[in-house]
Amino acid sequence: MSPPKERVPLWVSIGSHTVLAAATLFAVYPVLWVISLAFSAGGDAPEPRVVPFPAHPTLENFKQFVGLDHAGGFALFLGQLGNSLIVSLATALVAVVIATPASYALARLPFFGKEGALRTLFATQMFPAVASAVPLYVLLEHLHLLDARSGLVLVYATTAIPFAIFQLKGAIETIPVDLEEAAMVDGATRFQAFVKVVLPAARPAIAVTALFAFMSAWNEFILAATLLSRKSAFTLPIVLQSYVGEHLANWGVFAAGALLVSAPVMILFYIVQRQLISGLTAGGVKG
Amino acid sequence: MAHPPAKDRCVARGVTKAYGNNPILRGIDLQIPEGSFAVLVGPSGCGKSTLLRAVAGLETVDGGTITLGDRDVTALPPRDRDVAMVFQSYALYPHLTVRDNLAFGLELRKTPKDIIAARVAEASTMLGLDPLLERLPKQLSGGQRQRVAMGRAVVRRAQLYLFDEPLSNLDAALRAEVRVEIRKLHERIGATTLYVTHDQVEAMTLADTLWVLHGGKVAQSGPPLDVYERPNSLFVAGFLGSPKINLLPGTLAFQGNRWSANERASEPGNYQFRVDEDRFAAGLQEGRSVTIGVRPQDVAVAHGDDPVFGQLTVDLVEALGSEGLAHGDLGGTPFVARLDAEEARTVKPKSRVPLTVKAHRVHLFDPSTEKAL
Amino acid sequence: MNVAFLGLSQRNRYVVLGIALSAITVGCGPEKPSIFVWHAYRGDEEKALEQATRRWEEKTGNHVDLLAIPHGAYAAKLEAAIPHGHGPDLFIDAHERLGSFVRDGLVAKVDDKEIQAFAAEGAARRSLTVAGKGYGFPLASKGLALIVNRQFVPNKPASFEALFHGTYPAGIKPLAYEIQSSYGQAPFVHAFGSHFIAADGTFGFVGEPAEKSLDLVAGWQKRGVVVPDADGALVSQLFAAERVAAVISGPWFLADFSAKFPIDVYPLPPLYVPADVPAAGAPASTSDGPLPRPFLTVEAAFLTPDGAARPEVHDLANFLATDPESLRLRATVGKQVVALAAGVDLPATTVAFGKVADQAELTPTSPAMRATWVPVEQALKKVLRGDATSHDAVLEAGRRFADATKPPLQGEPPPKKTPLFVVFGMLLLGAVFAAIKQAKQTDIRAELRRSKTAYAYVTHAAIIVALLVVAPLVAGAATSLYAGTRSDPTYVGFTNYIAILTARGGALLGHGSFYLTLLVTVLWTIINVFFHVSIGLLLGVVLSRESLRLKPLYRTLLILPWAIPSYVTALSWKGMFHKQYGAVNGILHFFGVAPVSWFSKFSTAFTANITTNVWLGFPFMMVVTMGALTSIPKDVLEAADVDGATPWQRFRYVTLPLLRPALLPSVALGAVWTFNMFNVVFLVSEGEPDGTTDILVSDAYRWAFTRDAQYGYAAAYAVVIFGILFLGSRALQWLGERFSGTSEASK
Ligand SMILES: Nc1ncnc2c1ncn2[C@@H]1O[C@H](COP(=O)(O)OP(=O)(O)OP(=O)(O)O)[C@@H](O)[C@H]1O
Ligand SMILES: [Mg+2]
Repeated sequence: MSPPKERVPLWVSIGSHTVLAAATLFAVYPVLWVISLAFSAGGDAPEPRVVPFPAHPTLENFKQFVGLDHAGGFALFLGQLGNSLIVSLATALVAVVIATPASYALARLPFFGKEGALRTLFATQMFPAVASAVPLYVLLEHLHLLDARSGLVLVYATTAIPFAIFQLKGAIETIPVDLEEAAMVDGATRFQAFVKVVLPAARPAIAVTALFAFMSAWNEFILAATLLSRKSAFTLPIVLQSYVGEHLANWGVFAAGALLVSAPVMILFYIVQRQLISGLTAGGVKG
Repeated sequence: MAHPPAKDRCVARGVTKAYGNNPILRGIDLQIPEGSFAVLVGPSGCGKSTLLRAVAGLETVDGGTITLGDRDVTALPPRDRDVAMVFQSYALYPHLTVRDNLAFGLELRKTPKDIIAARVAEASTMLGLDPLLERLPKQLSGGQRQRVAMGRAVVRRAQLYLFDEPLSNLDAALRAEVRVEIRKLHERIGATTLYVTHDQVEAMTLADTLWVLHGGKVAQSGPPLDVYERPNSLFVAGFLGSPKINLLPGTLAFQGNRWSANERASEPGNYQFRVDEDRFAAGLQEGRSVTIGVRPQDVAVAHGDDPVFGQLTVDLVEALGSEGLAHGDLGGTPFVARLDAEEARTVKPKSRVPLTVKAHRVHLFDPSTEKAL
Repeated sequence: MNVAFLGLSQRNRYVVLGIALSAITVGCGPEKPSIFVWHAYRGDEEKALEQATRRWEEKTGNHVDLLAIPHGAYAAKLEAAIPHGHGPDLFIDAHERLGSFVRDGLVAKVDDKEIQAFAAEGAARRSLTVAGKGYGFPLASKGLALIVNRQFVPNKPASFEALFHGTYPAGIKPLAYEIQSSYGQAPFVHAFGSHFIAADGTFGFVGEPAEKSLDLVAGWQKRGVVVPDADGALVSQLFAAERVAAVISGPWFLADFSAKFPIDVYPLPPLYVPADVPAAGAPASTSDGPLPRPFLTVEAAFLTPDGAARPEVHDLANFLATDPESLRLRATVGKQVVALAAGVDLPATTVAFGKVADQAELTPTSPAMRATWVPVEQALKKVLRGDATSHDAVLEAGRRFADATKPPLQGEPPPKKTPLFVVFGMLLLGAVFAAIKQAKQTDIRAELRRSKTAYAYVTHAAIIVALLVVAPLVAGAATSLYAGTRSDPTYVGFTNYIAILTARGGALLGHGSFYLTLLVTVLWTIINVFFHVSIGLLLGVVLSRESLRLKPLYRTLLILPWAIPSYVTALSWKGMFHKQYGAVNGILHFFGVAPVSWFSKFSTAFTANITTNVWLGFPFMMVVTMGALTSIPKDVLEAADVDGATPWQRFRYVTLPLLRPALLPSVALGAVWTFNMFNVVFLVSEGEPDGTTDILVSDAYRWAFTRDAQYGYAAAYAVVIFGILFLGSRALQWLGERFSGTSEASK
C-alpha cells in the first residue's frame, strides 16, 4: 500500500526543489571537475573555466586504473576490488554485530558502570589518532594479524564500533519500550525480544550505521598501506593513492580511480536509502 | 454475581513497590477468582499500571508475593508467568503483519503450526480482523489496532489476561462497541481478567469485582454496584459517580424516634436527611459530626408527600437532553441535583426547589477518618 | 511466520556470518619467504624496476617480491614495519632520509669493499655515507634542470636573464616552476652561497645570501617572467599546452611527458652573463652571475638489517645498481638518471639530467633537514605575497627552525624506567577511586546482580574497545612523557606539556602559538558544525517529505561529497580555489568580482577550508537526520499541523525536539571529529598563509612527521587536545543541563 499522498501548497513544493537543486549543484560541482579530469587525456591547456568539460574526452584513465592496459592487470584489479569489498563489508558486519547488543544494553538496561562506559567511549573519540597508531601496530603484531585482512578489519572496527554504538544507542532509545515488554509477556526472553522486536524496528538505523562503517573502511589508505604488504592483498584506496608520486601525480588516473572507487558506495547508498523512510515504527503504539 | 465462587486464579499479597524513595504500592492485597473479571480503578498516577506490570512480571516488586494458579510467580520473568497483556499503547510489532502479530506469542512457545493457524483464524474471526490479516499496523485505524492488540492476547490461552486502559484512545461510539465485545469475549472464553480503566461506565459494566486503588493500597473492593452504593470511604464515594457526590457537613440527631443528619435544622435554608439506621447502626451517636454524602443522581424534586430534606437555591441548570443538572446552594454548601428532562425545562435559576432522597442513598462519613460510619 | 532480521531467516544469518568470517581469514597466512623489495615508484620507473628484477631472477633462480607502496604512506610503513621485523629485505628510497634511517636502525651498513666496487667516486658515494660508514646501493639521481620547448628556445640559454629576454609569441611566459616550494627555491639559495643546513649542522638559510635568493624570485614574479602560483601539475600542464617556453623540473617530468614538440634539457644556467641586457637600473655585469645549484637526491637500494643477513639480497642490490642490463632498463624504460652510465647508450635527455650532478648540492642527510622545508617555504611565500621583506622573512624562518628543533625544555632528566608504572598506577588508582565512590553510594552487590543481564550484552564490546581502542590510546599517551625520537627516547616527565601550555616560551597569543591555534580550532569547529548541522537538517527534513518527486535522485547526488574519497575531492577544491585557473574565481568573475587570491589572507584561506569541509561534511548530517526522522511518528507532525503550526513552527517545536536525542550523539561526535579533522587543512590551505589556518591537530602531525620526528611532543599535543575536548564537552554538558530545564518545560 502506498502512503497517502499529502497535499502540499505549491510554494512549499517550489521551495523544496529550489533548496534541493541548489544543494545538489553545490554537491555535484566539484565532483564534475573530478569527472572532467578523469575523462581528459592530459595536455589540455589550463584555462580559467567555469564549466567542467574535458577538451578531448577519453577512457584511457579508467582503462589504466582497472589494469586493462597491461596483461594480468585487470585480474589484479578485480582481486583488489574484492579485498576492498571483503574488508569493508566485514568491518560493517563486525561493527554492527558488536555494537548492536552493546548499544541495546546502553539504551535499555541499567547496569553498574554504564555512565563510565559511555564517557570512556566518547572520550576515546577525542584522542587524535597520531598517538595511538604505533601501539596499535604493535598490538596487531602480537596478535599475528599484520598483513592480514582480518587485522585491517580489526583496526577499522576500532573507529567504527564506538560510532556505531552511539548511533544505535540513540536509535534504540526511540523505539517504544512497550514493544519489548509485549514480546516478553508473549513469552519471549529478553534476548528473543531484542532479536525479534528491537532489531527489526531498528533496521533503518542499523542499515545506516553499517553504511557508515562500510565507508570508513572503504576509503581508508594510510593504515591499509601500513599494514598490508602484498600487492594481491591491497585494497583499492592504496592503489588509488599510488598514482600520487613524490614529485608528480597522474591526476587523470587518480580522478578516474576515485570515481570508480566511489561507485560501489553510491550503489550501496541507493539500496540503503529505501530504509530511510519516515515512520518505519509507525502504528506500533498509540503515539 | 455472574460466576459461582471459584478458586482464586490470581492473588497478590502485600505487594509493595517504590521508585527510588517514592513508594507507589504500599501493600496491595488482591484476589481474582478463576474466570472472573476484575476491574482496577483509581486516580491517575496511583499505581494501576505499576500493579499490572508487577503482575505481568515487567516490574519487580520490593515486597509481597504474587501467585498465579498454584504457583508463586513473584520471581519469575514474564514469559514464565503465562499471562497475556493488552498494553495501554497497544504495542503492536510494527514490522509484522496483523497475522504475524497474532501468531507471535504462539510461535515463541513453539506451538504447532496447525494450532497457531486455527487459533489465529478463530481470534481474527471473533474480532472481525479477517480482512486485515495481511496488513501492517500502520495501515490500521485506531479501533482496528485495538482489536489486534486484543486478538494478540486472545489467541494465547493464558492464565490471566491483563488490560491496561485499552479503550482510552477510542471515540465514544467505538468505545461502547468494543466494551461490549470485550465482555462478550470474556464470557465466551471464560478468561480470568484484570482490567485497568478510568472510565466509570466501563468499570461498572465490565467488572465482576471492582477494585479501587488509592494511595498505594486497595481502598475498597467488591461487586461494582456494592462499591458504588456503599462506598466505605469519602475517597471511594468521591471517586465513583459522575457528577461527583455532594458532600455536606452535618450532625447526627435522634428526634422523634428517628436518626437524622442535619445542619441548623431550625433555620431556613437548612437540610435534614433521614439516616439508614440498619447500615450505620454502629456509628450512630447523638451530636456526632458527620460528612453527609448524597449523589446527585439519587436526589429528586419532591412531589406530594415526599420527605423533603432541604430547599436548593438554584444558580444554574444544565440541560443534558434526557436529564438535567441543577447547580445551586444548599445551606451554604454547593450542591448538584439531577432533574428529569421535564424539570430541567421548568426549573429556573434563583428559584428554590424542594428535594427528596431515599434514606438508603444517604452516605455518612466520619469527617476526621474519612471512613464510612 | 516470518521474523525478519535484515531479511534473513535465522539459519541464513549464521551461514552469512560464517561466509563473511571465513572470507576475511582466507588467504591471510604468510607466504613462502622470497626477497621482499619495497619501493614507491609508479609508472615507467616501476616497470623498469620490475623488468630489471625479472632479469636477476632469471639469472639466479631466486624469487623477488616487489611491492609498490603509495608515497604518502611509505615512510610511515617503513618506520613501523622494519623495527618489528616485518619489513622488506631491500627498499628503495631517497638518500636524504638516510640520516633518520640510520638513527632508527632501519638500514644495515654495507661493506666498504662492496661500495668500492661500484661507487668509487662522486656524489653518490658521498650521499650514502653517514658518520664514515656506507649504506645502500645508488640507483639513480634526481635534480632540477631546465627543460625547454625547442620551438621557443632553439638554443641553450646562456642565463636566466637571456631566457627571460627571449622573444615569445603573445600569451607565452618564459618560465614556470614550483615557485612556492622550498625545493624549487633551493637552486637559488645555493646560488648565493646560502644553505638549508650549514656544514656545522645549524640552520643555513640565514643572512644576506638567503635574502638575496628570496628577492631574486620575488623580482621575477613581479616582472611577470615566471608563472605565479604554479604547482607541479600546473607546471606540466602549461608546458604540455605550449604556454610556457621553459620549466624547471626533474627527471620525473619526462616520465609522464609525451612530447608533441621537441624539447631540450640543460643544467640550470647562471642567473645572468655579461652579454645580457641589464634589468632596468642595474649595472651591466662583467662576469657570469651566480650559478643556481639544485638539490641532488640519490635514490638507492637500502638493505634492512634482516636483508643484510642474506647474501642474495646483497647480490640483488648490486645487480640493480651496477649491472649494465639493469642500468639500460632503468635509463630507457624508467627514464631514470642512472648513477653509473659507463658503457650504456642513454637518451640525450637523460645524459643532460646526469650533468646536473656536476653543479648540484647533495641534499643533506641530517635528520634536522626535515625541519628546514617548512620555515623556508613560509619565508618564500611570505615574500612572494609581499607580506614581509626578505630580511624579516629570513629572520622568522630562523626562529621557526629553532623552535621546531629545540628540545622541549632543558631540565634534569629524571630516572628512566619508572614512567609506565607511574602512568598505569595513576590510571589504576583513579579507576579504583571511582569504583569506591560508586560502591559507597549504592549497594554494589545488589547493583552488580541487577547488572548481570546487561553485562551479557556489553562484555564483548567492552573487551574489544578496551583492547583495541583504549589500550593503544593509553600507551600512546604514555609516550608523551618522553622526548626525542622513537629510537632514542628520554623520559622527561611533564616537560612536553609545560612546553605546549607555555607556548614554548613565546608570547601566549603570539603568531603560531598554541593558544592562537586553539582559538582558530574552536572557530573552525563551531563554524563547521553549525553549517554541517543546519544544512544537513534542512536537506534531511526537505528530503523526507512524502510526496517529493525525484527524491532518490536528490538523495543519491547529495551524498556524492561523502562517497568520493576526501583526499581526491579536497584536491579538487584546492584547484577550484586557484587564483588564476580556479573555477571559484571564474564564477566570481562572471559576477564582476575581481579574482581573489584565496590562500594569501587568513580570512579567505579559512573560508576556503571551511567551504571544503562543509561540503565534505553535510551529507553525513543529512543522512543521520534522515535516519533519525524515521523514528518520528507522522501523527505527531500531523497533530502539529492540526494545531495550526506553520512549517517553521512545526519544525522548530516538534521535529527538532524529537530529533534531538537521536542527533545529539552524532553532533557531539561530529564536533569532536571536526576539531581533529586535519586533512582538509593539510590538503586545501596547507596552513596558508603562514600557518595561520592550521588547527591544533595539524600541529601535532607536524611535530610527528615533518619536524624532527618528535613523537613524544606530538603525543603530548594529542593528550592536550584530548584534555581540551574532554573539559569542553563536560562544560557544554553542564551548560546543557542548566538550560535544559527551560526546554524540557516547553515540551
Ligand atoms: N519508571 C518510573 N520511575 C519513577 N516513577 C515512576 C516510574 N513509572 C511510574 N512512576 C510513578 O509511579 C506512579 C504510578 O504510575 P502508574 O503508571 O502505575 O500510574 P497509573 O495508575 O497507571 O496512572 P494512569 O492512570 O495515568 O495510567 C506515578 O506517580 C508515576 O509517576
Ligand atoms: Mg497507567
